[in-house]
Amino acid sequence: MTRQLDLNDIQGNIPRAYGRFAFPFARYFFLNIRNQDAGRAFVTTVRPRVTTAAWWTPDTKPKVTLNIGFTHPGLCMLGLPTRTLQGMPESFTDGMKARAFILGDRHPDRVEQDDSNWCAHWDPIWRENRAGDAGRDVHIWISMNAQLAQLGTDQPVPDLEAQTDWLRGLCSDSGVRMLGGHGRDGAGDFQPASAIFTKVGDAKFPTPREHFGLTDGIGDPVFQGQYPPDREKEAVIGRGKWMGRATGWQPIAAGEFLLGHPDESQELPPTAMPPNVMHNGSFMAYRKLHENVGTFNDVMATEAKGFARVMNVPEQEARETLIAKMVGRWSDGVPTATAPTFEAWQATRDQIGLNDPDPARAMQAQRAYLRSAASSDFRYADDIDGYKCPGGAHLRRVNTRDYLDPLNTPGKRNRDATTQLNKRRRILRRGLPYGPDDSAHKDDSTEQGVTMMIIGASLFRQFEFVQQQWIQYGLDFHQGNHTCPMLGDHSLHTRYTIPSDPKSGKPPYIMGGLKTFVETRGGDYFFLPSMTALHMIALGIVDPT
Amino acid sequence: MPDFDTGHLFLTFLTPIRRGTTHDLTGTAMSHEQAVRITLGLLPTALQSPATIKIGENSPFARSLQTHLCRFVVIEDAIYNGRTPEDALIASIRDRDPITPQPVDKLGNAYLLFAADIDAVMDEGDPLPVTLDAARQGRVRDAWARRLWERMAPELRSIYENCVGFDEVQTGADFARYLKKCQVETTMPFHDYWISPPKLSNLPVPLLAIAALLPLGITVLAFLAQVFGVQAVPRLGIAPGWLALGSAAVSAAVLYGLYRYVVANGQKPMPPAQFGDLPSVLKSLYLQQHFADFALAHQGSSAKNLHAAFGAFLETHTPADTMAPTQPPGVISVKAAQQTGPVA
Repeated sequence: MTRQLDLNDIQGNIPRAYGRFAFPFARYFFLNIRNQDAGRAFVTTVRPRVTTAAWWTPDTKPKVTLNIGFTHPGLCMLGLPTRTLQGMPESFTDGMKARAFILGDRHPDRVEQDDSNWCAHWDPIWRENRAGDAGRDVHIWISMNAQLAQLGTDQPVPDLEAQTDWLRGLCSDSGVRMLGGHGRDGAGDFQPASAIFTKVGDAKFPTPREHFGLTDGIGDPVFQGQYPPDREKEAVIGRGKWMGRATGWQPIAAGEFLLGHPDESQELPPTAMPPNVMHNGSFMAYRKLHENVGTFNDVMATEAKGFARVMNVPEQEARETLIAKMVGRWSDGVPTATAPTFEAWQATRDQIGLNDPDPARAMQAQRAYLRSAASSDFRYADDIDGYKCPGGAHLRRVNTRDYLDPLNTPGKRNRDATTQLNKRRRILRRGLPYGPDDSAHKDDSTEQGVTMMIIGASLFRQFEFVQQQWIQYGLDFHQGNHTCPMLGDHSLHTRYTIPSDPKSGKPPYIMGGLKTFVETRGGDYFFLPSMTALHMIALGIVDPT
Repeated sequence: MPDFDTGHLFLTFLTPIRRGTTHDLTGTAMSHEQAVRITLGLLPTALQSPATIKIGENSPFARSLQTHLCRFVVIEDAIYNGRTPEDALIASIRDRDPITPQPVDKLGNAYLLFAADIDAVMDEGDPLPVTLDAARQGRVRDAWARRLWERMAPELRSIYENCVGFDEVQTGADFARYLKKCQVETTMPFHDYWISPPKLSNLPVPLLAIAALLPLGITVLAFLAQVFGVQAVPRLGIAPGWLALGSAAVSAAVLYGLYRYVVANGQKPMPPAQFGDLPSVLKSLYLQQHFADFALAHQGSSAKNLHAAFGAFLETHTPADTMAPTQPPGVISVKAAQQTGPVA
């Protein structure tokens, strides 16, 4: 029997990507605790406003959400006992900056003493974090997500500003301080984020795209208890685990994303003492990922010329195809696993209504498609050689599905392949783009990208593994040292190969001039406590004995 | 036997470390165990990370084209794994008091472990053998040890001078004899250069089953015949009991023979992998990198140009010659080798 999760105890940003629930705006605040009493009082005040995972009715759905997390130094400042702090995983204790080398955030060919200024391009707040001045350390993360004020506009509900003012009112120089230093100029006192809006007639609508123009945030994992049973059946398709044809898609164990619950190895994830301070909590990596739109467009223009010449196709088709084969999805989110060629893609677009001449109807069709099982329902064991979705494509790297089944053999379809070697490496992705709408000029120096929050029971086993082994390295995909074509560091390794089905008579295509398209601008690791744990932390009653 | 597998020798040497005190170059007193640890700590590793590439001094083992992998470990003592577990009921029946300490195993000495995986060949670049008897394994080991001495005697001396009985080692032949004395059997070799599944010597299971079951079946039938009072076995004319006894003896002999056969089959070394020798491994790394460059540079070329360019590629890189041009040992890539200059 599956026991229902205590959704009132779990923070709402764990099961929900708010952007997918009609919250296209976000603000991320980072706070520094000056003294323990003020810190605890702050948590006490904020706690009643925290959005939980409880299911909403149209009446109870909040206009603005609020969630909270703490870094290890933050928990230290709140006076958690040494035994509890020492029981925390070392990745969380280290924080993201100390893990820069394994995450690929530092130069891969430089030793630390020759790379002391490696984070010079980070936002000031993140440069100063964990850099020696405890007054500049990030202790608390607070996120707010807001609904649209009115459909057709690009303005959030006024409650967002009101809640921001309320938060500012709680802060002071001697108690809990709101840290500034966001953006290139460091002028912002929070990190804003928003879906990218597009103009249709006189109205503006949020799109599911990021700044390269690609549809993002599809196929998030589904875990036990996340959805009501009636919705789980559909949601789990392509997003859960596949352990064989007899069982089909099943939700992933809750313990992969929530501490205190059995995980996919049939164990409780390791936690600090006392267990109830960790129960129903999770860990989160906050990463501000800048997108070098200028470089991306330049590289794609050059590569598209080459691809068009070698494959004898028009340049626009070449660009679309190259991007689709780098990502594993066409720019509108249709997977190359189900629409492997440009023609198949166009046919799919016709079929699902994306080529509708009315842009509003086309947008609606896209939203419906992204929500449907069809956008996630595919596996790779029928495409071992990557003729549909290349072995090194972004999608195949971050969620390997059944590609790593030990019995998969090149050139052969494996109908019995499972996601066994993938289900312990899944991550929940939360966040929104930041930067201007799609009419603005964007290059490498303008401020745009994605605020990314990666949630899982183990930063080390899930996020860091995926980042180090699958994004910044390619051995599991027979790609040698080559990194993810979209997210990887391309300072050393600049190639990406697109296999071609020999039946097509076309050779494979090698992209040779990749540059780094996405780079980190800061971030840290946070613990997202349950409502119970927030209470314990606020009252100072965390007792590990 | 497991010293030899897949055309490689998996060598394990355990050498006792001298007891007592020695002095380092500054005159600081220390134990030989400390001295050997310090020496090993300063021994350069291969140029495989930004830090080691920056140091730029390659592992002395990179001077060999035969050593795939090797490691030194100081074994200070046997690991104590706690009390031998025992069923509490049995212990109490036997009147064994868990408060009484059990004896703790200790080594008489600290040991230096030296493990090396090498191509089982007399000369670097020779093809890997499929089988190799003990005597020839010894000759290969000695030839390798002598070559090691030729190329890194100072390093070997600085390590082994802290070991028992090394004072008499003056030449490569002495060193080979010294290692021979220290060799222990490797019980679990590991090889991973397969590019296709190896041809294994599989057991003929149905035949073995028939051979095992036939005399057993006769035994059972004859035994039953005796029990049910059959007087004599047709044609043989003897009582079935005698036949049962006879065939039981045959069964036992056959089963023992089969057991020996299965064990002997398991002892057969795995065949060498194609291209599993170190020069081939390095050459393939070299070719892989250059061919990737070639494929990118000539993408979309006309058939004629491609043919000419590939001809030039073959001429420059001579794929059939495993010894040159190639990637030197101890570096992460051809490019890294160029950056760090010629390998010492």
